[in-house]
Amino acid sequence: MGAALTLWRKHMIKLISKKEESIGVLFQPILWVVLFGTGMKSVMSTGMVGNGDFYMTFMVPGIIALAAMSGAIDGGLTLLFERVQGIIKEYLVAPIPRISILAGNAMSTINKSLFQSLVILVIGVLMGAKFVGLDPLGWLGGLFLITGYSLGFAGIGLAVASRTDSPGGYHMLIFMLTLPLLFLSNALYPLEYLPTWMQVGAKINPVSYVVDGLRQTIFDSNALLTGGELLPLWLCFLVVIIFAILSMTLAYYSFKKSIK
Amino acid sequence: MAEMQGTNLAIEVKGLVKEYPSKVLAVNGIDLNIKSNTIYALLGPNGAGKTTTINILTTLKEPTAGSIKVLGFDVIQQANKVRRNIGVTFQEMILDDELTGRQVLDYHGRLYKLGARERQKKVIELLKLAELEEAADRVVKTYSGGMKRRLELVRGLMTEPEILFLDEPTTGLDPQNRSSIWKYIRNLKEKSNLTLLLTTHYMEEAEELADYVGIIDYGKIVIEGTPRELIDKMGADTIQIAGNGNSDLFIQELKGHSFIQNIVNTNGLIQIGTDSGNKRLVEVVSIASKSGFTIEDISIAKPSLGDVFLKYTGRRLRDK
Repeated sequence: MGAALTLWRKHMIKLISKKEESIGVLFQPILWVVLFGTGMKSVMSTGMVGNGDFYMTFMVPGIIALAAMSGAIDGGLTLLFERVQGIIKEYLVAPIPRISILAGNAMSTINKSLFQSLVILVIGVLMGAKFVGLDPLGWLGGLFLITGYSLGFAGIGLAVASRTDSPGGYHMLIFMLTLPLLFLSNALYPLEYLPTWMQVGAKINPVSYVVDGLRQTIFDSNALLTGGELLPLWLCFLVVIIFAILSMTLAYYSFKKSIK
Repeated sequence: MAEMQGTNLAIEVKGLVKEYPSKVLAVNGIDLNIKSNTIYALLGPNGAGKTTTINILTTLKEPTAGSIKVLGFDVIQQANKVRRNIGVTFQEMILDDELTGRQVLDYHGRLYKLGARERQKKVIELLKLAELEEAADRVVKTYSGGMKRRLELVRGLMTEPEILFLDEPTTGLDPQNRSSIWKYIRNLKEKSNLTLLLTTHYMEEAEELADYVGIIDYGKIVIEGTPRELIDKMGADTIQIAGNGNSDLFIQELKGHSFIQNIVNTNGLIQIGTDSGNKRLVEVVSIASKSGFTIEDISIAKPSLGDVFLKYTGRRLRDK
């Protein structure tokens, strides 16, 4: 644990010392909410439903999912660069457990995700998203979901980063994996408006579960755009937990193989 | 070599073999006994197996076969004990460019769970040793190659290791930096009870630094000893001759004389090992003219480790 904390600390210091990157971490989610959110909000309010605040409430969890996903991709890239530049060797000859290299990396990823989620929530409120209020259990649940979800994507990023040596190849693979996960979900549009095959896809996608989970824990589900059924909350938690465990296990074996 | 069998062996390797999954046999049965508080240089052409050997001794890679003990600990069964007690500088520069020199050392200490006070003390001491005090709070990106290398070398010392592994420590450095790093490595050994294992393909480096030299080629140690021993085996001096004529007859004639120790003829360059180059020069010249060999170029060379190296690894250039 000590070694993981050290690596987490180091990644954070590096992030803060790099101005472009820390500004990116802060502004990327803001841009998503402001640009994408405003655009979609006006589209939605012209036709179908109310004044568009419903859509903000609906969409902000989706943006959180998106930001956490791209944060996890960066986390994988950190490992990739450490491998390519050989920095990993400094860790490997140190008397530390191998898993702490992954744990330190995943901790920085989660750390970034939670920070970005907070930024998104604040902007979301300013733009009209409706929250549950001050229900501590709800917020705690939401926090847990975001953590589990970014751990899940951190795992995918780390697994891929262990297997490839080229940043280009990494991006290509990650893009192929994550883009469908985002769009084949209920993150940006309500499930009931989708054709059946997409609904099926969305239901086997962990992204849908974290998004609906957030809608029920942090957000005011009465103010949602959709009148349709949300995925049951217990199932949301279960899926996110399984997703996190599975993908971190995959990352661990993939990483172990890479250092053989 | 009898005294090397004592109990104070820092590194003890028996029958080390490493075959990569690609079926490349990188190390093909190496035995190594390295005494504590000595500098041992593993010398070899590119691809000879030096780095693979270092990687196994430092627990980065697992051997295919062999018994490998570092400070008495088995590199597989007791890897963490080995790791705790060694310092490593890899062939390529491995530094976090965005950290400052001070941070690089500090984080290294944290990885090894050194306390805050100890880290602080060590960092100040090592920055001084590496003459990096003024650059300590600049990011490593702004360092020159020599500064980076010095930082890497002292990083290996943060944890007060008993053995320091240096894989080609001066590759890519200019002569000034190279000799300053040599000076620095010698200082290290004198001040602390360090054992150093370094690999290099620079002969001068091994000659300057090493108490013992092992020449490695095709995954095997081909010869081992102190630099002096190895050089003495080459004969005292070498007279080198290039020219035209019947070189076979010339060599035949030379062989009849007792002061000639050995003769190597490589592509028209005749190297004659003799007891004293200065004294025998005239005689050699007269033998040449008697046997109808015209000398175009002649020189006397004191043998160096480089000659030893070439003798055992051959002249041919190799691809890695």
